[in-house]
Amino acid sequence: MFAISKREFLRLVKGVKSIIIIAIMLITAYYSAKFSNLLLSLEEFTASETERIHYAGLLMLLLVFGQLFVMGLSHDVINRETHDRTMRFLVTRTSRLSIVLGKFFGVFLFWLLCVTVSFSIVFAFSQQLDWLSFLQVMSLLFYQIALTVMLSVLIPKPGFTMFLGIIVGLAFPVVGFWVTFSNNPWVSWLKFVNPLYYLESDVTFPIILLLSAVWLALAYVVFKRREC
Amino acid sequence: MTAIETRQLFKKYGSVPVVKGINLTVEKGEIFGFLGHNGAGKSTLINMLTGIIRPSAGSFSLLGINGPDDKIKSRIGVMPDYSSFDGSMTAMGYLRFLSELSGNKASKETCLSILKKVGLEKDAHKKTGKFSFGMKKKLGIAQAIIHNPELIFLDEPTSGLDAESVIHIQHLIRELHHEGKTIFMTSHNLDEVEKLCTRIAIMKDGQIIKTGSMDELRSYYQSTILVKIKHGNIPISDMTQLTQWLTNVGDNLEIKEQHIIITVNQEKKIADIIRAFNQCKIDIYRVEVDEPSLEEIFLDGQVGVRRVV
Repeated sequence: MFAISKREFLRLVKGVKSIIIIAIMLITAYYSAKFSNLLLSLEEFTASETERIHYAGLLMLLLVFGQLFVMGLSHDVINRETHDRTMRFLVTRTSRLSIVLGKFFGVFLFWLLCVTVSFSIVFAFSQQLDWLSFLQVMSLLFYQIALTVMLSVLIPKPGFTMFLGIIVGLAFPVVGFWVTFSNNPWVSWLKFVNPLYYLESDVTFPIILLLSAVWLALAYVVFKRREC
Repeated sequence: MTAIETRQLFKKYGSVPVVKGINLTVEKGEIFGFLGHNGAGKSTLINMLTGIIRPSAGSFSLLGINGPDDKIKSRIGVMPDYSSFDGSMTAMGYLRFLSELSGNKASKETCLSILKKVGLEKDAHKKTGKFSFGMKKKLGIAQAIIHNPELIFLDEPTSGLDAESVIHIQHLIRELHHEGKTIFMTSHNLDEVEKLCTRIAIMKDGQIIKTGSMDELRSYYQSTILVKIKHGNIPISDMTQLTQWLTNVGDNLEIKEQHIIITVNQEKKIADIIRAFNQCKIDIYRVEVDEPSLEEIFLDGQVGVRRVV
């Protein structure tokens, strides 16, 4: 599992798409921290919110575009190898659970690095570390990566997951916010399976990890039966 | 000790059976050859044994462990029928990654020595995206043996390679055999299977139609033997008696000036004929026995009839 994680992490770090996304995040973090005080003049914030205002731009970026970024980089994390049949070298050497978890943690490690560096930039400006936002963002990314891995297992064609990745990436924040704040009884129950709902409160974000585990378990069950 | 044992192994896609209840035993230390036309089910069988696909029914064991079991994976090496690599990695990088995945990360020196064995030492640091088909084949073999497995599956290891590389790989297979490894290989190169393998199975339409050593297969398919004897002059006094005796021993007798052609059903009768010629004091210059090649056995096996020379 460690070898697969390491390879997936290095593959992401070296990729051109990853470098572009890292650049977007770092630029956002830099300007978010630098010009965050301007936001204070636009609206009234609580004392707690004011303390965290430097992180606002970065958090908004990840909240709105996080799923799109993750899908853009990793929509073919599993199905590319199945499609190219390089997966055969993996399944004949290690368990399928190790492959799913190895791929997942490799991608997660990449995002952990990106978010950590971005938060460090903001910290350099604000001298305030927002641990809660960091953990919330990482738990959200944990969910988004698990969803991406599951879709990559479920759909065998990389071309289709690329298309679906854009749809899911754009729909995720829209649908997420809608079901979270909707009073419509037909859709409001969906908020319980929506990770954004658990970011409303400061203490409920660990539930997102449980939802992620469901996606990973589903991915494993499907992958176990999949022919490579 | 048994390296591979399958019991009624069965695979079907939808309602189409591809492998129809294979019972097979391969002992440790063998080079076992698997022959069959495209679509006979050879690769499907290997894929089931190595965990690439799941059997629909039946069971199997590898090195005494009932499969499918992830624990056995570090002890087997697999070269799949279709070898494609991540083009961004070098041969060296691939071997190090895959050996690490098998739980025993190979050193650079080990990787180089394995690449040398398959004839890729000069391309160790070249990206696999630039590899030719033959080079990918060689890397496929290298990755199958990099973690020093006890049981090696090679699916058509020499197809697509040039003559020099084929000899190189055949030498490597023999070397692995001498190291005590069990090798299960499929090939379309019938001469190669004949040369390398200790036992052979012929597969047709998802079933094994015959298993055995080369001699066993020959004797099974060879119901008659064509014998051509070049000889000296036959004394006229012995001619009638000899002709009558030969007619009783075999069929399709043809007597020409300096040679006879006869069809017999047992090897022993060849010795009897030579003895008869000696008793008549007739010189024998040459005895030619038309034995079926593996190719002939294989092709006849495919149509399901015994060979008649």
